[in-house]
Amino acid sequence: MPEPVYFDHAATTPVREEVFAAMQPFFGPRFGNPSSMHRWGREARTALDEARERLGRCLGASPDEIVFTSCGTEADNMALIGVWRARRGEGSRNAAVSTPIEHKAVLGALHEIAKEGGEERLLMVDSAGRVDASSFDALVRDDTAVCSVMWVNNELGTLQDVQTMAERARSRGVVFHTDAVQAFGKVDIDARRTPFDLLSISGHKIGAPKGIGALFIRRGTPMEPLLFGGSQDRGRRPGTENVAMAVGLARAAELAVAERDEECRRLQALRDRLESTILARVPDAVIHGREAARAPHISNISVPGTESESMLIALDLRGVACSAGSACQSGSITPSHVLEAIGVSTDVAKAAIRFSLGALSTEAGVDRVAEVFPMLAEKARRLATA
Amino acid sequence: MRERVLVAMSGGVDSSVAAALLVRQGYDVVGATMKLFCHGDDVPDRPCCSLDSVNDARRICEQLGIPHYVLNLESAFGRDVVHDFVDEYARGRTPIPCVRCNTFTKFRDLVRRADAMDARWIATGHYARVLDGALHRGLDPTKDQSYFLWGIDRRVLSRMLLPVGAQTKAETRTVAHQLGLELIAEKRESQDICFVPDGDHTRVIARTLGADTPSLAHGPIMLRDGTVVGEHAGYARFTVGQRRGLPGGFPEPMFVVAIEPSTRAVVIGPRSELLGRGAVVREVNWLVDPAPVAGDEVRVQIRHRSRAVAGTLVRVSSSEHEVEVALEEPASAISPGQSCVFYDGERVLGGGVIERGRRELPVRAA
Repeated sequence: MPEPVYFDHAATTPVREEVFAAMQPFFGPRFGNPSSMHRWGREARTALDEARERLGRCLGASPDEIVFTSCGTEADNMALIGVWRARRGEGSRNAAVSTPIEHKAVLGALHEIAKEGGEERLLMVDSAGRVDASSFDALVRDDTAVCSVMWVNNELGTLQDVQTMAERARSRGVVFHTDAVQAFGKVDIDARRTPFDLLSISGHKIGAPKGIGALFIRRGTPMEPLLFGGSQDRGRRPGTENVAMAVGLARAAELAVAERDEECRRLQALRDRLESTILARVPDAVIHGREAARAPHISNISVPGTESESMLIALDLRGVACSAGSACQSGSITPSHVLEAIGVSTDVAKAAIRFSLGALSTEAGVDRVAEVFPMLAEKARRLATA
Repeated sequence: MRERVLVAMSGGVDSSVAAALLVRQGYDVVGATMKLFCHGDDVPDRPCCSLDSVNDARRICEQLGIPHYVLNLESAFGRDVVHDFVDEYARGRTPIPCVRCNTFTKFRDLVRRADAMDARWIATGHYARVLDGALHRGLDPTKDQSYFLWGIDRRVLSRMLLPVGAQTKAETRTVAHQLGLELIAEKRESQDICFVPDGDHTRVIARTLGADTPSLAHGPIMLRDGTVVGEHAGYARFTVGQRRGLPGGFPEPMFVVAIEPSTRAVVIGPRSELLGRGAVVREVNWLVDPAPVAGDEVRVQIRHRSRAVAGTLVRVSSSEHEVEVALEEPASAISPGQSCVFYDGERVLGGGVIERGRRELPVRAA
């Protein structure tokens, strides 16, 4: 079998060498606890402060607006639940609004809010996953505590008009959060220009390790902590800070921002090559969300008459790594809630395969997928009708 | 190029050892655990989709250095196995879901998955053997599972590998230890039906058909002559030959001898009324070619763990997949819904589902 190829960068990415190198001292001599007053502590504190500043610069934010978390899920949970709980006291703002195509980290937080007595509302999205503007106006009102809309959808790559939604939310006194886990490094993000109040990112999607994320919290945003304990991070996120990982995240973020334009051009060319070759070979393949503006690294394709579970296995056995839908606890594939929400028929949704490009993607890899995938799809169809 | 084999792995010792033996024999082994049902929060000790079994199977594959996949066959299994199971009880019969799982799930749906993976072979941890393209009993008579395999497509036999069928259970455990599969080597054998984890099949019936379904409603317990001698809480709780749960006070032990869904009656009688001399068998599938014909003498097994007895096929309708068999000696509790499997010595000829027993010796039509 030829060398395996990795087309699952939306799931996770390899840690970049520069990031690994930046973190290494903190697994060695610079092991101190940033809360300690002695020299070891000071060294760690310096690194943490710098990491916060550097990440802040990547987002157009002040250092005090950055909270490091253990992952994107924690950032999303904190954004929604923390704000909703903090605004409970206002009395009149009980609703939490989001979209049906969010990551489970947001949807799960929304369900938790509903369990605690909040009102859960979902915006309407069109067939590409874009939020319907009239639905936004109807559901994001003066009774709403928080609204969350992801910047780039992790399954489709669809971009949302965050600028407009953040502005409208602000005019109605609604705290606006965006999950930018897939957007960071692909979209120009600037907190000074776009009035979102909260924004989540995740390290392992951009070349930092798993186990680190961050939440931007605009000054003045009402927020209750989810964890209780020490006074780290102004009490917003108690627990000894993960210095090495914070440094890694800051480094990865800087690299991603610096390389963004060029990398986006490169990935888009690769993605277009992948899609056009597959379409030429399988003319009835469906590329989900293609009519919308998309981030350049995600392509979600269904070949009608195939099933993603079998296709993923066959692709894996031929050395092509990609993904589909979401996995349940047992690891079996269940059809995607995102495709269902944008009105894709069950049969077509069941066939969806997500290819996501990134650092490891090359033209040769794309050509390999563009050859293997149509061949396996053809075979799967033959078997299905046999 | 090594030949690829897809192994169905339940996380138990038999299928784990099967996979390990195939790795040792040099096959390109792919492990797969079928997700067949999901209890959700119903069964607190066993989280969603028998997660523990999946995890054990995955750990074994990791140890063996082979890929492991979870295959979602839930909807097909629900249709082909669980619904049939429930319907059979509603019809007053006693189904064997494992037979249908082998027929439809393991050796049909899973074979299709094997095709998609370019796997030449399909393997399981069954105690049975394929010799010269024919299905045979497993070598360990106390573990033989050939009784459950009569329904599979004959063409699949040439692709089946049953690595533990040629050894005893004790040997399987020894091999598990030798191969370092300590995780599962002494795992207890499950006696339950996989989708009835607490052993109470009426819960599955209630969940599927509703708690007020007739097979779970009260009905009379009566004698053959119609005398009502008691009441029961649902005929789906009974099976032909059962003694438990029946009223006492009779001169001799009484057994369920028939279940009549139309009146919800459970008919009881003494042991003599349980004896049968033949059976009508439906959904017959043959694993040999040419198929047996009327007049052929065969060995007949009418339930798991019972001895095969001599019999004669008195009627064979290939178009209706129906057979009538005469037994040389009376057999006890020929239960509708159970399997009737025909053997020639160790070799499985085929089998079917018992439609009904015959108290009189069936004779061959002239």
